[in-house]
Amino acid sequence: MKRTGFAYDERFLLHKTGRYHPEASERLEAIVGWMKTSGMLGKLTPIEVTRANQRWIEAVHDIHYIMRFDEACSSGINEFEHPDNAICRDTCEAAFLAVGAVLNAIDAVMKGTVDNAFCAVRPPGHHAEVDRAMGFCYFNNVAIGARYLQKQHGIDRVGIIDFDVHHGNGTQHIFEHDPTVFYYSIHEHPSFAYPGTGREFETGLGEGEGFTVNSPVLPGRGDHDYKRLIMQDLVPAFKKFNPEFILVSAGFDAHESDMMSGTNLTTDGYDFISEVVVNLVNRCSGGRVVSVLEGGYNLDVLPMLVENHIRFLAELR
Amino acid sequence: MFVSERMSRNLITAGPEMTILEAKTLMSEKKIRHLPVIDQAGKLIGIVSDRDIRDAMPSILLPKEDYDRNLAKVMDFPVQDIMSKNPLAIYAYYTIQDSLLVMQKRKVGALPVIDEEGYLKGILSTRDLLRAFVNVMNIDEPGTLLCIIVTERQGQMKRIVDIITEEKISLGSVLVARVWDKEKRAVFPYLLTNNVAKVKQKLIDSGFILIDPMQWYLDQLPKRD
Repeated sequence: MKRTGFAYDERFLLHKTGRYHPEASERLEAIVGWMKTSGMLGKLTPIEVTRANQRWIEAVHDIHYIMRFDEACSSGINEFEHPDNAICRDTCEAAFLAVGAVLNAIDAVMKGTVDNAFCAVRPPGHHAEVDRAMGFCYFNNVAIGARYLQKQHGIDRVGIIDFDVHHGNGTQHIFEHDPTVFYYSIHEHPSFAYPGTGREFETGLGEGEGFTVNSPVLPGRGDHDYKRLIMQDLVPAFKKFNPEFILVSAGFDAHESDMMSGTNLTTDGYDFISEVVVNLVNRCSGGRVVSVLEGGYNLDVLPMLVENHIRFLAELR
Repeated sequence: MFVSERMSRNLITAGPEMTILEAKTLMSEKKIRHLPVIDQAGKLIGIVSDRDIRDAMPSILLPKEDYDRNLAKVMDFPVQDIMSKNPLAIYAYYTIQDSLLVMQKRKVGALPVIDEEGYLKGILSTRDLLRAFVNVMNIDEPGTLLCIIVTERQGQMKRIVDIITEEKISLGSVLVARVWDKEKRAVFPYLLTNNVAKVKQKLIDSGFILIDPMQWYLDQLPKRD
């Protein structure tokens, strides 16, 4: 068994999105409630969540954007620049804490107090662009984590695996010119799903050419295409890139019972992804991985999927 | 949706006496494929396409000295010798939809825009048209495409739009397409949001059939007997 860290804080629940918003605090309550009952939570090492220092957020986001977001939250309005991005007075604080959770998890893995970690955070991050909030995301938690690994811990090559059903446009755009951060995403095909990016020919730009790989999955194809594309696109690329640390954008909205998408991935399909991630992590990055929650909106399956994913990290399968 | 809003006004033109070589250089410098030819007053008298230029050039398969010799023979001819005279032209008050139809039916890659006296005012290329349609369909904004199968009956579109509006979702565009079944239509609303779970459920609860756009695509393929 591995020592797996778990970063969660009740202050993530203070980010209220209104009655009808799918990215609701009930998501985290369901996950934590389930893992308490199952006994899983007791097997994990808690990671303290503290507010991230803004300078790490500025390593990715435009300072004026951060200020705009902060001001919008403190003004008390209920959306930020687009109706998808529901906010309340506490949203900015929750977003700073979500980044802080990822950075603390990275510190714990680098210090060796845990082998790997899962961050049950909200708001999610992978749609957030340098200067634009999108698709329920404000700060790009994983992208900030990658820059933190490089600047604070001297890691040269960071690999990002994004299996949320939506393409992580923010993460791709932040790193598409950069050959030191490899971004891999598998998601529902952009013709049929938000946000409309992540085609197979988006492979990085300039010096970053070849360090972005996208595997779009057609609606309804499910496990079969996921398995084929992951073996064909992700595994050889990561073996070649050989990242020293892997970050995961873990979204559970590709599941067949999640109305957000039509890819029809099953619970077994998710297990397959987790298994491949763990194998890659053991092979390339010496077991060092921090996995961060992105989407997943069906409260009946989300907690079970998260726990299954953590079981692979903790080698409890 | 008028040509006046979408045409290129930054006009690159030739006089009838401009040589073929000058025209060729100008077109490749400015990265254009159609060069309107105007008289001294500014009235449209013809248009030269990159294909007209290519037809006038010697073959690149010739040995270099033959190529150069033939090039020297042709490059000083004026463009009026190769241009299409009295080209198809439109007015600035044409709609974009109408221009799309004209380009498709008449198989041209660009339409010069003139005023009623025949003076050249602009040019509308397929690239301008593509940009215009990307813009009106709002597809360069992040969003989600739905596919709804509806029976052809009055008021269906209103019901769909009402449900989308109730969810406070802004609508990027709506396309309607024919489907396999004669009395049915496929409606494709492009929603400017990530948040589609609830609106999908509401549409289903209201009796609409939602299918994967992929399913629609597969059903459009010719069936084998």
